[in-house]
Amino acid sequence: MEFKLPDLGEGITEGEVLKWMTKEGDVVKEDQPIVEVMTDKVNVQIPSPRSGKVTKILVKEGDIAKVGQTIIVIDDGSGSGPAAVPAPPATATPAAPVQTAPQSPSTLNVLATPATRRLARELGVDIAAVRGSGPQGRVTEDDVKRSTAGRTGSTITVPASNPVATAAGGREEVVPLRGLRRTISERMAKSLRTTAQVTHVDEADMTELVLLREAFKGSAEKRGVRLTYLPFIIKALIPALKEFPYVNSSLDEAAGTIVLKKYYNIGVATDTEQGLVVPVVKDADKKDIFELAGEIEKLSSKARSGQLALDEVHGSTFTITNVGAIGGLFATPIINIPEVAILGLHKIAKRPVVRDGKIEVRDTTYLSVSFDHRVFDGAYAARFTSRVIETIQDTKKLLAEVL
Amino acid sequence: MIEADVVIVGGGPGGYVCGIRAAQLGLKTVVVEADRLGGECLNYGCIPSKSLITVSKLLDKVKEAERYGLKVSGATVDFLQMQKWKSEVVSKLVSGVESLLRGYHATVIFGEATATSKGSLSVTTATGVEQISCKNLVIATGTRTSSLPGLDFDGDLIVSSKEGLELKAPPRRMLIVGGGAIGLEFASMFQKLGSQITVVEIMDQLLPGSDPDLVRVVQRKLEGRGGKVYLKSKVTRVNKKGSEADVEIETPEGKVIVPADKILVSVGRKPRIEKMNLQELGVRTDPRGYVITNEKMQTNVPGIYAIGDVRGPPLLAHKASREGVVAAECIAGLPSAADWKVIPDAVFCDPEVASAGMTEAKALEAGYHVKRSRFPFASLGRALSAGEPEGFVKVVSREEDGLVLGVQIVGPEASNLISEVALAIEMGATVDDIALTVHPHPTLPEAIMEAAESAAGHPIHQLKV
Repeated sequence: MEFKLPDLGEGITEGEVLKWMTKEGDVVKEDQPIVEVMTDKVNVQIPSPRSGKVTKILVKEGDIAKVGQTIIVIDDGSGSGPAAVPAPPATATPAAPVQTAPQSPSTLNVLATPATRRLARELGVDIAAVRGSGPQGRVTEDDVKRSTAGRTGSTITVPASNPVATAAGGREEVVPLRGLRRTISERMAKSLRTTAQVTHVDEADMTELVLLREAFKGSAEKRGVRLTYLPFIIKALIPALKEFPYVNSSLDEAAGTIVLKKYYNIGVATDTEQGLVVPVVKDADKKDIFELAGEIEKLSSKARSGQLALDEVHGSTFTITNVGAIGGLFATPIINIPEVAILGLHKIAKRPVVRDGKIEVRDTTYLSVSFDHRVFDGAYAARFTSRVIETIQDTKKLLAEVL
Repeated sequence: MIEADVVIVGGGPGGYVCGIRAAQLGLKTVVVEADRLGGECLNYGCIPSKSLITVSKLLDKVKEAERYGLKVSGATVDFLQMQKWKSEVVSKLVSGVESLLRGYHATVIFGEATATSKGSLSVTTATGVEQISCKNLVIATGTRTSSLPGLDFDGDLIVSSKEGLELKAPPRRMLIVGGGAIGLEFASMFQKLGSQITVVEIMDQLLPGSDPDLVRVVQRKLEGRGGKVYLKSKVTRVNKKGSEADVEIETPEGKVIVPADKILVSVGRKPRIEKMNLQELGVRTDPRGYVITNEKMQTNVPGIYAIGDVRGPPLLAHKASREGVVAAECIAGLPSAADWKVIPDAVFCDPEVASAGMTEAKALEAGYHVKRSRFPFASLGRALSAGEPEGFVKVVSREEDGLVLGVQIVGPEASNLISEVALAIEMGATVDDIALTVHPHPTLPEAIMEAAESAAGHPIHQLKV
């Protein structure tokens, strides 16, 4: 019989075949899960409608199948004609698009304690896909938590993962779009597709801030933290966010409302080997620069080792992305939806500046603010940016903020 | 009209547990029970049979007490008192179930439920018909005893296990058709209570599916005490003669005739689904009639769940209970699922048989490099000092790394010993993990540690093989 991708409900018309749990030549039992399909709304495991032998798999892993398209041929002894079998129900679990499939019977072969298996279910992790770090490949709770770290939104792209296949006579490499890379790609495209993004760029004189940071370095070291510019920028940002509340908001299109957030959770885009993740500094307005510095250091090291907990990557209200260390003049970052603005920080360099009619060498940088024009306008964005720069440039004001 | 978030049809070990959990999770919960809360397990199975088995074992101990220097004379069984005590045990537990359900504010309705459509049921109670509409339906209707053609239950000569537990006196000669768990428990129990036992089993071993090494110990004891076992055999004819019968059995060696005063038929069970109108609801069942679900206990029809026996074998109360918890949690939106590695089982025959995980045969079939190790209770201080030296613990592990795949136990308190092993398997333990866990001395669980030590290659109380 030919088995067609069944109706997955809720207006879903297609899905990506994530994983075949059977292969050609296998004998499958009725109701045995045979394929995992990811849609934009749910991840589903689809059971076999009949017992029989798999003669042909028609959709490759990673390919998109339309509802009603034949995806597999199973010889159940009923002949080859398209059987009038009603599509079996898919076992659907409503899930965020970044979640992996629900638990499957394959967990029977996973070495993990019952509590770890439950944790995986709660975090939406397919434990069968987690590499265990314990004896005999035992999957620990840490392994499960670590595997969720890569499932967060992000703002810029990174090189793709290991190439697995080659094509075009070795002159091209075919790399599957998987895991975090896929999530990033979906989120970035969705951000651009669903918002009206504009980037405003301005210049900031960092000379005083450079001196200020030097002045605080010693006492930071005494507290055991490494002081970067980021805590200062966050501190300069907070009064501006308070003064321009629409920058720290989100748009609820369905309800026709804008939600102004009276808390300030700053996402810090962090480059990792797997891709970009955005750990969140919660309630940044209530922390001093040393606390911020310590927390950023901890979060970014956790991000790099893949140990971020779920609540450490959720709930940001505004995001900062900093590519200054790598170089470049300025970029136009993509908004980390559902936020409505993002601040890009860039390289601080000595540049000629005209001050009081004279050319001076000053430490300057460019700040770029991408914002959702649906929520506020260019003038608002420009005023907001000016306000941030004003604080950065005025040591007295900044001191009042940082301490 | 009663409205509910979840209606559970069947108040057995699956249904009532599901009801408690659902109510705990804040769901408006109704449990419909056609007979008595607690289901087969509490009323007609596990609990009453264990009560009677306890008495039979006690009698047996008393009879051999002289060996240990204990003089007892005139020990007899007062069958009526035994039954009365059994009923008290059952009643206490059944009322406990009801007060738990009510304590968590689940509604209990006694009556026969019929599903009229996906979200509605009508329940025929003693006083009338109650209509219930529900967002979720959990089918927990269980199974009922199967009969055999030519061996129809007559409630007198030919009985099921339910009536077998109500007997007012031990039959002189009891013939048991079906050598599975229920058949063997009855065989051991009534043998101790004084009946002459014959077991007829159609397969080539008792407890089909169990490790034959274990079954051998049970069969040897049954036969050693004068019981008769016919394997690969079937009853072809029952010639009733008043209150007794000559039973014709076809054996591989030819036809034999066995006289019997009581014939107990325990040849399996079948799903109790008639009133659920599964076909009309569109709920899929397998060819044997068991309801098909996924690991969240969801049937193919959204909002309809099935748990326990009605989902198919193994037909065990503890499996049903856990499935009830999973169903309730899934209905409440929690990420619950049936992801256990083992459902342990225990047979309360003599000696007891219990198992968790894969048997040696199953592990080989699954393609593992299997290491097996055994430790006999005859070498164990506590077993000897308890006067129960029969049987052994068998550990099946993975050759490469000692991962425990399964453990089978035949011997004293096997039913109580198996939980340690179930935990070990769920935790992904190796034989070293068990061997390195200090077990108190002198106790029966030491046998598990000793068998694990043997598998790990360093047995202490056993010569290296």
